[in-house]
Amino acid sequence: MATLTVTQNFGKGACDLGVYRSLGGYASLGPRLFDLSQFELIDLVSRSGLRGRGGAGFPTGMKWSFVPRNSGKPVYLVVNADEGEPGTFKDHVLMLEDPHRLIEGMLICGWALGVRTAYIYVRGEFLPAIEALNRALKQAYDAGILGENIQGTGYSLDIYVHRGAGAYICGEETALINSLEGYKGQPRLKPPFPAVSGAWASPTCVNNVETLMALPWILENGPAAYQALGTPKSGGTKVFSVSGDVKRPGVYEVPMGTPLMELLESKDLCQGIVGELKGVIPGGSSSPVLLAEEARKANLDYEALAALKTMLGSGAVIAFNTTRNAVGMLASLTRFYAHESCGQCTPCREGTGYADRILKSVVAGKGRDGDLEHMLDLAANFSYTTICPLAIADAWPIENFIGKFRPEFEKAVSANPGHASPRMDDDFRPGAFW
Amino acid sequence: MGHCHTKVDQPSTDEVFSKLEIPSVLERAEELVRRYPVPRSALLPMLWLAQEVLGWLPQEAIRWAAGKCEVSPVHAYGVSMFYTMYKKEPTGRFFLQICQNVSCHVLGAEDIIAHAEKTLETTSHGGTTSDNLFTLLRVECLGACGNGPVMQVNDDFATDVVDGALAMPTGVSLTKERFDKIVAWCRQQAKSQQKEPVRDASGGAFRTGGHPGAKGANTAAQKPDYAPAPPVLGLSVQKTEDGKVKVTWRADAGVSALHLENRTNGTEFISLATLTGKDKEWVGELPAGTELRMVSESQGRRAKPSNIAKVEA
Repeated sequence: MATLTVTQNFGKGACDLGVYRSLGGYASLGPRLFDLSQFELIDLVSRSGLRGRGGAGFPTGMKWSFVPRNSGKPVYLVVNADEGEPGTFKDHVLMLEDPHRLIEGMLICGWALGVRTAYIYVRGEFLPAIEALNRALKQAYDAGILGENIQGTGYSLDIYVHRGAGAYICGEETALINSLEGYKGQPRLKPPFPAVSGAWASPTCVNNVETLMALPWILENGPAAYQALGTPKSGGTKVFSVSGDVKRPGVYEVPMGTPLMELLESKDLCQGIVGELKGVIPGGSSSPVLLAEEARKANLDYEALAALKTMLGSGAVIAFNTTRNAVGMLASLTRFYAHESCGQCTPCREGTGYADRILKSVVAGKGRDGDLEHMLDLAANFSYTTICPLAIADAWPIENFIGKFRPEFEKAVSANPGHASPRMDDDFRPGAFW
Repeated sequence: MGHCHTKVDQPSTDEVFSKLEIPSVLERAEELVRRYPVPRSALLPMLWLAQEVLGWLPQEAIRWAAGKCEVSPVHAYGVSMFYTMYKKEPTGRFFLQICQNVSCHVLGAEDIIAHAEKTLETTSHGGTTSDNLFTLLRVECLGACGNGPVMQVNDDFATDVVDGALAMPTGVSLTKERFDKIVAWCRQQAKSQQKEPVRDASGGAFRTGGHPGAKGANTAAQKPDYAPAPPVLGLSVQKTEDGKVKVTWRADAGVSALHLENRTNGTEFISLATLTGKDKEWVGELPAGTELRMVSESQGRRAKPSNIAKVEA
């Protein structure tokens, strides 16, 4: 049995404070945490090799070290639980199964950064998870784990849950901060980075749920033990949410560097593919797709997947078999990004919608020659021209699905008997939609 | 529904405000405002509150929320239109949302949506059945892909009915048969209950004895430069050559004060000297047997005392 650092309490009823404590919870709330100075704690987290588990994989210790001291403003901790990336559902399960571990992780982060008030931004659809969190928070307050003067240390922390209302883009940290502040969830230009000027123009640390939940284990077992679980550059373990054509989809925690096929085929994990594997999306819908032969070579860590020109992202593995149509899959993705584009930057607002309308016409049997090139051209033009990476997240699937499954797309285009004639109707050009 | 907005008959101001301006709602509204440094930030929870009370968000309710959060009505309206979960029109008693995104799509969500449209005889783009019982909407990722295809019935994830309640057991995905089962359960529910029980839109923070924040806690407690005072570590005492006592320790340089305290014969500790975080040692004369400890202070908060060091004879 591999070492688990985040999901060890699954299925044990750890929602309850008593059970969580009996499983060794809140053990860090003592000399282990409160004897560390802020700088020692940040250094400890840096040495563990923990990287942000929300998708970008930024080293957590380094992120914390950017939060300025004595800026004359309060420091806020905001937990990003706005899990919206298609294929990702790990934070949802983590919050339902083990909310106290998140609270403990927040206390550790709060101590390191001098946070007095923290918010958990949970996406609106996760009402059952919000209820589980609120019950856990109440238990923690009643037990003196949160609130004023925690366990006589003079340290105080308040945590509030903020419910989102259905916008994928609020998972982007500056959009999340805007949403928390009561604005539309539109991303802000960086710099200034949230660490310097985030929520209410104060230093703000935005961390993913899984990142914070790894902290209690790191404090208990030491940074070297955590680092040793993974590869030299990607330390620790990672929680993967596996969906699609596997025999047992679900949430699995494995050490970094585990082969992708071991995750999909091991009898302790997903137990194998249903049908014959056609491809795998390894890190959430926006990560470039891998063909079956590429998937067999892939290891699950940041560097190995980057070498295959894809990314680990949020750890959402979507496997699909040879009966699935790549055109339909890409259509569901382009529709998603067109729907979720916040409307702030023109290339993304118009481009994602335009690409989506082209692909819709291909799916409807109205494709024309040149449509695929047109989509690729659009994707190249709306990448890297916007404030946030949503446009790139749309461009990568377009480029990779068309690049890797080109015959299927060409077949879909040629299903239109008049595919060679130019398109006369221009009702899906930019602007026509609005 | 979603981003497609149709024209809806709006209730009057009096009608809406008479439901919102009641003590139980106002109390919660005040509580929500206290949670944030500025009232404006309570806008999203405030809109949730109005939607919970009314079942949907008429324009006058948005105006009410704007007033509570001290923003202009047009700002609140813009925000409410940005987020898809605020219902700008009434829905049926059971709001069925079926995920159509990639994981669910791969596993046959389109078939189930087509089946749902046929069974309920309505469209999946926010159509409501003629008996006003069901509203059907195809949505993007619901964040439960391991059970794909998945559906939400009002605020609950549902892929099956287990022991007379909606449930999403591990590994159980929505099929046409299970969809029919859930619809039958809803119809049964509608017969046996007058109204659907209202769920607290704040996730139990107010109604079910959940967490309303610490007692009296609010963001007014938030202070600039708030840093927890890390305790002093490794306090030790040495004798210098001229017979004086030299005290050394390790402390965070960021703390505002370090209090050196002493006691003799096990009595109360009394303050000996107040130092700053930058000080590295203290030298003075003390009788043998004196016990010393150090307490760091930051922003008026005192950390727990350091270890106790004793002056040897």
